[in-house]
Amino acid sequence: MRSTRLVWLLLLAACEIEKIGIPPTQAHVALHGVLSASAPNQVVLLERTRNGTLAVTAPSFEVLDPVLSDEGIAERNAIVSLTTPSGATLIAREDAVARGDGKGRGVYRFSLPGSGLERGGTYRLSVRTTRNELLEAETSVPVGEPAAAPTQRLFDRVQDTIALTWPSAPGARSYVVRIETPFGPRSFFTDTTRVRLTGELRNIDVAGLPRVFIPGFPQAVTVSAVDSNYYDWFRTHSNAIAGTGLVNRIRGGIGVFGALVRLRFDELRVVAPQTEPEAGMFRFVGTPAEVASTPYLSLELYVESRSARADQDHALSGRAQRRPVLGYTGCLTCGVLGTARDGRIELALLSDWYARDTTDVFIGAIRGDTIVGSYRVSGGGVRFVRDR
Amino acid sequence: MRSEEVREVMRGALASIGALGVWLLLIPALVAAQDAGGVVAGRVMARADSASIAPASGAAISIVGTTLGTTTRADGRFVLERLPSGPATVRVRLLGYRVVERPVVARAGDTLRLDVTLEREAQLLSPVRVDAASPDVEAFVSKPNVATLAVDAAAMKGVPGVGEPDVARVVQLLPGVVARNDFNTGLNVRGGEADQNLILLDGHPIYNPFHLGGLFSTFMDATVGGIELMTGAFPARYGGRLSSVLDVQSADDARPGVHASADLSVIGATARMAGAFARERGAWSVAARRTYADAVTSMFTKDIFPYHFRDFHARGTYAAGGGLRLTVTAYAGKDVVDANLAEFQSDSAPSRASEGRWAFDWGNRVLGATITKELGENTTLEQRVSTSRFSTLLDVGDGAFAQRNAVSDIRLAGSLTARNAAHDRSIGYEVARHRVRYASGSSETGATDYDLVQRPTSAAGWVSDLWRLSPRWIVEWGLRAEALTGREWAALSPRLSIKYFATPQLAFTAAAGRATQWMHSMAGDGPLRYFEVWLASDSLTPVATAWHWVAGAERRFGAGASVRLEGYVKRYQRVLEANWSESPHVRGDEFFVAEGRSYGADLHARWQSASGVGGWVSYSYGVSARWRDGMRWAPGHDRRHDVDVIATWRRGKYRFGARFGFATGTPYTPMVGEIARRVYDPSRDSWGTGSSRLWIEPLGGARNAARFPASHRLDLDASRELRFRGATVSPYVSVVNAYNAQNVFIYLYDYSTDAPTRRAISQFPVLPSMGVRVAF
Repeated sequence: MRSTRLVWLLLLAACEIEKIGIPPTQAHVALHGVLSASAPNQVVLLERTRNGTLAVTAPSFEVLDPVLSDEGIAERNAIVSLTTPSGATLIAREDAVARGDGKGRGVYRFSLPGSGLERGGTYRLSVRTTRNELLEAETSVPVGEPAAAPTQRLFDRVQDTIALTWPSAPGARSYVVRIETPFGPRSFFTDTTRVRLTGELRNIDVAGLPRVFIPGFPQAVTVSAVDSNYYDWFRTHSNAIAGTGLVNRIRGGIGVFGALVRLRFDELRVVAPQTEPEAGMFRFVGTPAEVASTPYLSLELYVESRSARADQDHALSGRAQRRPVLGYTGCLTCGVLGTARDGRIELALLSDWYARDTTDVFIGAIRGDTIVGSYRVSGGGVRFVRDR
Repeated sequence: MRSEEVREVMRGALASIGALGVWLLLIPALVAAQDAGGVVAGRVMARADSASIAPASGAAISIVGTTLGTTTRADGRFVLERLPSGPATVRVRLLGYRVVERPVVARAGDTLRLDVTLEREAQLLSPVRVDAASPDVEAFVSKPNVATLAVDAAAMKGVPGVGEPDVARVVQLLPGVVARNDFNTGLNVRGGEADQNLILLDGHPIYNPFHLGGLFSTFMDATVGGIELMTGAFPARYGGRLSSVLDVQSADDARPGVHASADLSVIGATARMAGAFARERGAWSVAARRTYADAVTSMFTKDIFPYHFRDFHARGTYAAGGGLRLTVTAYAGKDVVDANLAEFQSDSAPSRASEGRWAFDWGNRVLGATITKELGENTTLEQRVSTSRFSTLLDVGDGAFAQRNAVSDIRLAGSLTARNAAHDRSIGYEVARHRVRYASGSSETGATDYDLVQRPTSAAGWVSDLWRLSPRWIVEWGLRAEALTGREWAALSPRLSIKYFATPQLAFTAAAGRATQWMHSMAGDGPLRYFEVWLASDSLTPVATAWHWVAGAERRFGAGASVRLEGYVKRYQRVLEANWSESPHVRGDEFFVAEGRSYGADLHARWQSASGVGGWVSYSYGVSARWRDGMRWAPGHDRRHDVDVIATWRRGKYRFGARFGFATGTPYTPMVGEIARRVYDPSRDSWGTGSSRLWIEPLGGARNAARFPASHRLDLDASRELRFRGATVSPYVSVVNAYNAQNVFIYLYDYSTDAPTRRAISQFPVLPSMGVRVAF
């Protein structure tokens, strides 16, 4: 990934001289499966590698449809079986078949809770596609007790450092530390049983190297013991020029069949000092009728980063409290990302906690302790007054 | 020594002896033909511009039309024995001075006295650098010189450069050398990988003398006096690399006073000061270069260009009394990419204020000293001490991830050479203490992926004999014994070169030798060498070995033209290739061990006429293969045909240069698809959540199964010399790829639609540039 970035930087000196159509190639079956000791059931994703025979689409991501809603070419109607260490064979059902609403194509689910996974035992996966292709792989589940519910804690990005420790897990090839962020997770492997996370940590898995910890956001931190299949697949990359480098242990296809035990699960409520004029808790003010119709009741804002150049904006982050509406099933407290310069602010109001999905944009100005502005989608003139 | 090493050496030695058997069988019959002959002795002095005269050390003395030759000692004296009875012509050459030829009549048992005073060669372009006759003339008559090419500064002038003149670009135009593409000055010599070249600066090793992923070399044009490239079967004094030796010699300027030059090109500025001291017994020079695209960008725009490189070079020589000469060379250079990504001009993102710093730097440091002492009339003692270091640092995200590699050595080397009319016998040694560190981790998280430190010591002893058997035969044999701690490895590497003069202008040559390498780069086989990491052989990483066999012929046409044809075979017992999938937590998986073979033929024709027209034609034919674990492939530098035509023309105050190159394509791996890499979210126990962008990676087909189309390019260069108040001003213009040939650098594939496409990304488009050199 790092190498690829530099290649692209150097390619700026060159230019495209030709673009031609090429014939489609043979598509392979790609398999992504991880046995998780904390999951209610076990899921395997099956899809085709891109070979130029189908145009992939990118609708909004849906967790219930992780292949098709994320530019995948789902492999339907395969026979997916799992042989347990005791010799029992389980057959997975494709979600799209089980649900009946069309979602979950290429998503094969075993009715096998994580608590039922035999630690240290070897599970064998077999896949037979409708084209009679056979994929096989096996994995062993590391020994360890999964952390079920997250431990909540407040994390001041400026002052705090988290020291995470966890017990050693026999059978684990490595441990993966993953921190959820609005821009994408930061994850890395470590062989030790301790790690330290500072508030200033940068996310090198995301373009632009944003900070990992974003004030106003809840951020999950997990530490999981993983087997060698998981470790080797996710630590390797296919070189952009040579097209090699992946460690693939799926016979008859490509991908990963690994195992994971979530040993630590923390959820951080990230905060930071709110000393700047743009930072603080702002509450909507208006008549009862306005309160009854406004989409957002409060804004909790932080200056996430000050601008690097005078002609650029400060970066803002925070959270917004939605007004409860009958029938609305989304988040009531959602993430906010935005900018501020010379008293003007622009806030992207997220549909959840991920930067990729914006519900509305608020554009306004700060006048003393008041923010005045309007929504790009919802419209209206609204006022928020500093609460603290 | 390990038993397999012994077997390898024996196998290789037997093969070499077989290949050269015919030559060896002829030698004894010819030894008897030698007679004692006459002797010519004397002293060579050199006249500087101020009319002061000093002993000329290192001047080449030869008998025209024979292989007899010697060099002058520090006091300028020489003795040349075994002259054939009868009339002969003694030729005296010294870089920067006019060649002197004197007729003599030798008689058996007599000693002729010959004193010569050399005059400075006319200054052709600038007062700083002087032209001299090609040094390969002496090499032709006095050494087997197999697979060896020498180019002096004069011959390099006028060769069009990219942005500015570059010695590495000149080397790429020599036969047997493959340039992967326009963006890479890495040298692939006779089928070898780019890390298999021993690159020396005044005899001191330098690890990775390239800037910007190989786009430029670290050698500043103003500091280079000449180069010598040995493309195979090199003499026993050289070791540690499998494929070639490139010796870059610094330019000396022994004129009295202080002289300065400045070069301004489109990419950077170079300044050099030089002069003589101690009544011209010593000379010094200092030079520095820095690119200025970053400074210009920030001066005129709000944008940033976060890259520059810089070089510093210093050299001093001093000839003390009693035949003692001291030379010191220092070099330091660094590439720096240091960007706060937030400072880039805003794009469509609402704010980039939260973006972080990205730092990447790499560079070399070399400091070396050489002491040469003449012991008596015909014996020279040389002692070298040097330290060389190359380091890289990649810091992504203010310590969120850092990777560093540093390789350094402290080296002692020496030799004792005794010369007489028939032999130049040498014995030497080299001991180097290396330190390698390769570390990766995060200071922000306290996680360490790996932190490898190696401290091997290498030692070598060698003997060699340059044996002038007769006027027709020269044999140079040698034996190099090497050992490495950490691997507990030792080996013997025999070297043998033979030259037979069918006529004074036509010689046939053959050579064989074994080479070993225990420092390896992990840069891989890609089209760019952007992150150089070196590791040493140890208990887990073997020493790479190769055997070279070379045979050829060279025909000279007077002093100004020659044609050389050589064929070669190189067999790798072990060649290491970087493992792209190495695990940071596993030692010993950094390399794959492969075998390989390369063979081919090189043709080199060069000429330099009195009218000012000069140049050369190089043609290289090569075939390379590597194999391991049942897989066989052509390495990425395997180019079948490569032709370069270089012409320079001097007319009055103008100098014109042109280079045309044609090369068949190198192999590449075609992409056959793409995979969407799904990521499991352990906090939600679901797939695909959390990532804001889909992670797509290409899937490669059969390794290097396709080849790029042939490439061709015409480069032009013109300069004019102006005199202005004692200064010489030489503006130049050059055009790289004058007719904008669309040569392919890489292909990019898109399989995301039902109409898949392949885009070709170009090598250099037409690139005009200009610059000026001012010399005082």
